[in-house]
Amino acid sequence: MTAKTNDRGAAMWQMTLMGLRYLNGRRLRTVLTTLAIVFGVALIFTTNLALPSVVNTFKQSMTAMTGADITITRTSGESFTPDSVLPLISGVENVQAVTGLLRRQFNIPTLGDNAFGNSGQLELIGIDTTSAQNVRQFPMSEGRFLEEGETGAAIFPAGIADFAPQLTLDTRFPLITAGGLKLYTVVGFLAEQGSLSAPQIYVTLSDAQAAFNQEGLINTVEVSIDANADRSAVIAAIQQVLGSGYQMNAESNAAAAVGSIQIGLAIFNMLGALALFLGAFLIFNTFRTVVIERRHDLGMLRAVGATRRQITMMLVIESLIQGVVGTVIGLILGYLLAVGGFAAMGTIYKDYLNVTLPPIQVNLTALLLASGSGILTALLAGYLPARSAGKISPLEALRPSTVASVERAARWSLIVGIILAVLGVLLLLTGSKGAAAGAILFLVGMVVAAPGLVIPTARLFSPLLTLWFAREGDLARGNLVRQPSRAAITGSTLMIGLAVLVMAAALVTAFTALVEDLANVNFSSDILLTPQSVAIYNNVIGADETLANRLRALPEVETVGTLRYASSSAANGQALQVLGIDPNEYPQVASFDFTEGQAETAFAELGSGRNAILTSLAMSTLGLSVGDELVLDTAEGPQTYRVIAAANDILTFKVNAVFISQANLAADFHKAEDVLLMINLAPGADETAALANVQTIVNDYPQFTAQLTGEYRDTLVKTSAGAMYLFYVIAFLILIPAALGLLNTLTINILERTREIGVVRAVGGSRKQVRRMITAEALLLGIFGSAMGVLAGVAMSYGFIAAMGSIGWTVPYTFPLMGIIAAIVIGVMLALFTSILPARNATRLDIIRALQYE
Amino acid sequence: MSILHTESLTKVYGTADQPIYALNGMNLAVEQGEFLAIMGPSGSGKSTALYLMGGLEKPTSGKVWLRNSDMSVLNDDDLSKLRRQSLGFVFQFFNLIPVLSARENVAIPLILDGVPRPEALKRADESLSRVGLQDRGSHRPSELSGGQQQRAALARALVTKPDVVLADEPTGNLDSRSSDEVVQMLREAVDKWGQTIVLVTHDPRVAAHANRIVFLKDGKIVDENHLKGEGKAEQIREQLSKVALS
Repeated sequence: MTAKTNDRGAAMWQMTLMGLRYLNGRRLRTVLTTLAIVFGVALIFTTNLALPSVVNTFKQSMTAMTGADITITRTSGESFTPDSVLPLISGVENVQAVTGLLRRQFNIPTLGDNAFGNSGQLELIGIDTTSAQNVRQFPMSEGRFLEEGETGAAIFPAGIADFAPQLTLDTRFPLITAGGLKLYTVVGFLAEQGSLSAPQIYVTLSDAQAAFNQEGLINTVEVSIDANADRSAVIAAIQQVLGSGYQMNAESNAAAAVGSIQIGLAIFNMLGALALFLGAFLIFNTFRTVVIERRHDLGMLRAVGATRRQITMMLVIESLIQGVVGTVIGLILGYLLAVGGFAAMGTIYKDYLNVTLPPIQVNLTALLLASGSGILTALLAGYLPARSAGKISPLEALRPSTVASVERAARWSLIVGIILAVLGVLLLLTGSKGAAAGAILFLVGMVVAAPGLVIPTARLFSPLLTLWFAREGDLARGNLVRQPSRAAITGSTLMIGLAVLVMAAALVTAFTALVEDLANVNFSSDILLTPQSVAIYNNVIGADETLANRLRALPEVETVGTLRYASSSAANGQALQVLGIDPNEYPQVASFDFTEGQAETAFAELGSGRNAILTSLAMSTLGLSVGDELVLDTAEGPQTYRVIAAANDILTFKVNAVFISQANLAADFHKAEDVLLMINLAPGADETAALANVQTIVNDYPQFTAQLTGEYRDTLVKTSAGAMYLFYVIAFLILIPAALGLLNTLTINILERTREIGVVRAVGGSRKQVRRMITAEALLLGIFGSAMGVLAGVAMSYGFIAAMGSIGWTVPYTFPLMGIIAAIVIGVMLALFTSILPARNATRLDIIRALQYE
Repeated sequence: MSILHTESLTKVYGTADQPIYALNGMNLAVEQGEFLAIMGPSGSGKSTALYLMGGLEKPTSGKVWLRNSDMSVLNDDDLSKLRRQSLGFVFQFFNLIPVLSARENVAIPLILDGVPRPEALKRADESLSRVGLQDRGSHRPSELSGGQQQRAALARALVTKPDVVLADEPTGNLDSRSSDEVVQMLREAVDKWGQTIVLVTHDPRVAAHANRIVFLKDGKIVDENHLKGEGKAEQIREQLSKVALS
């Protein structure tokens, strides 16, 4: 008897050592399996490294620096009348002085001869010259401070020298305003550096109000308090008198921009999760193969006294090793991707979004999220096969597994798999948010049912096979049917890759169709004036009505429709874009795709009373339906609007947007800037000549770009189609491990049948026949995998499109016929291609050695 | 007192309608230090008997006693522990783990039992030198001949100094020279260290090295031979054909 020395570490170490050696023994397979983890972890890590940095940069670039003790804004960031607010704040105890400002950071064209170097943004700050100096100091380094009521005068912080060294005292420079370009004169420089993210310009409050077309309004209050006062107590007191519509010292509200980045974050995280799901699947498959392969070894270990737990532990350790290695490589790759991505994207961001990206900084959340999900995936995927390995009876070491038990297992898995698949289809048919889960369930069902599907599929297709492979077909089918679980594993690997391909094809087709539809429906105008950034209007400086009026005066122009913007939030705090349209003009230049309510009545109703049309995304996020009431946070406090319809257009279908009349926007939000203009030409007018005339006027408003709508639409459709192709890239990336898995399994199949191949050769099979046998087998596998992949792909594409519809992105479901054909062709080709090498190896076997092979 | 004994040991396969008795009420006692061979025609139940005695399979009815403990009441974990501490196995095929060296293969039962690795490897080396493989410790199974592999398997079976070594056709896959070597080793283990061995074989020349042979037919012991005198192998062959024809 062995002395009972309880050293579990030795056993663990031995298991780890064995795991490493087994992994090393099948290097190619180890690499392939690990690769799946690498891919998923890298995607998640890079996403969570890069996107939060971008969000922060956005927030910082929109947060102005201030020397005041307390800064107050509306929660929506929009303007308000000073008279109703300033006296309330002044009345609070310990408040020393109060001043109102109107400030906004906005995009400026970076090309051409603008006065601010290569900066893409500018912050214009209008100050009340008297009260501002009571709140904080404005030490001047040069020149003088602004004078009460003067116009056309500007002072800069010293930091402007970094952006525009040519600006010196008395320089005159053009500034973009809502009323067109205005000339300003530099009258002084502040001693302070100012914001580093964008040049700041101080002008008088009245000048700023004119520049933004917001007569008599402010959007910021700065407060100084008594030196020994308790700041947080003062803040609380101010908050109490102002109510929840106001916030103290908040970062500026960049909800729309930040929101769309966060959607991007969610999408990329989902892709990462999908990649990891696939990784989990590959690991699961590999370990199932491993357990079958090592049946004898595992049985032997059991016979000499290993417990079930020890066997399970050994395999779990093995998958853990792969998980850890894959995660580490994935983290490194993800980091490099993020750094590389920032380097590549930096200029694009600078030019188009006017944001300077910071260096990538590793944050703990990203690190934990990526590594946690990588390692956990590997562990979970390895655990099930590891547990089944633990159940291997010691006698497995001595006997081949009996056909009966394999068939019984196959029948069970078929039943369970079909139940899961049927449940999946039922969930799919609900067409709700559960549809995506239904698609996944269907996929899992297919995987589970796969071993039971091998035999019927092989029977179904073997008549076809005998056409080509009259003599070898039967053998090939026999090989497949004899080991249904292995064929199922291979088929499932191929299935996932092809299903993702079919899904990508369906999504691309659907989205492209959607974008084209929306573009055709929405842009019925002839000429379009777009701001620096479309659909994100916080940072846009629009134009007052003079621009639209000047355009209307052109002889070629029939109608000018405009879009106006304010940011707001619903009662539950959900940030919303409020878009003002003219109920008469807008339908002539653009149109909505109505999903609820009627176009004929909706526009008329919009013009009377507080009525609103919501995008379907907003409808579903807020849980509203037609006839409900929606309370919006406005400059005049909460206002109740009635929902009269749900409709989308191409610029808002992915935004939480509320359309109201421009009259209501002016009354409730004090906004009267046109941020997007659409022009219809008179019948028979020459487009080119009209565009030239429009351009002459737009030259005074460099914040806009004039374009023929057709051109803009084409660019838009092309750009979004380009973005869509990303799905194909991902699908192909996922096909690579699937193909390599196929190669791996075919190779293993041949290795394990070495002896049988020897027998076939010994009884007179030619090399060619052996090769044809293996090719036929690969072909059957390819057909099997493709058939399953197509089914699963149709389910997945339907599920995801239905799920998207339920959150408001109503996308028409197009049957992905081309995707299906591509999947079948790719699946079969892949199977044939991957069979080349194993088939060649098999034909080159030496008969005698093959017969002796163990 | 016998070290291992069975009590109406029965194993039934197949369905209730068509039961197949692989073993039918076998009573067998193995004495300490005995080298017992079990013989019989194909399907006589000799391997089943060995698996039941080794706790690799559960009997349908009856009991197996190892020293004073009833194996039929043990759960899977306890049986695993029993196998690694008190029993040693040598099989016909798949004896060794291909990714481990001969030394590590031999050390496995010790390591699984929690013996610190250096000590386990040291004892594995000792066991390997008993079977004459002291120079082959670092080789992988694929680098060993068939006879050497079986000797390594024997070294593994002996490394825990088990109560009983159970060997299932250990020479079934070997040429006659390697076969002789392996049987010599088994005999030596009995003679030098008083090892108890139960061996299943169909080869009379192998069985001739045993102290006693029991003959099985249709799951029952039908004959016995205490192997005295000359011409053992010939004697066994005759007895075997007699059993087969009876």
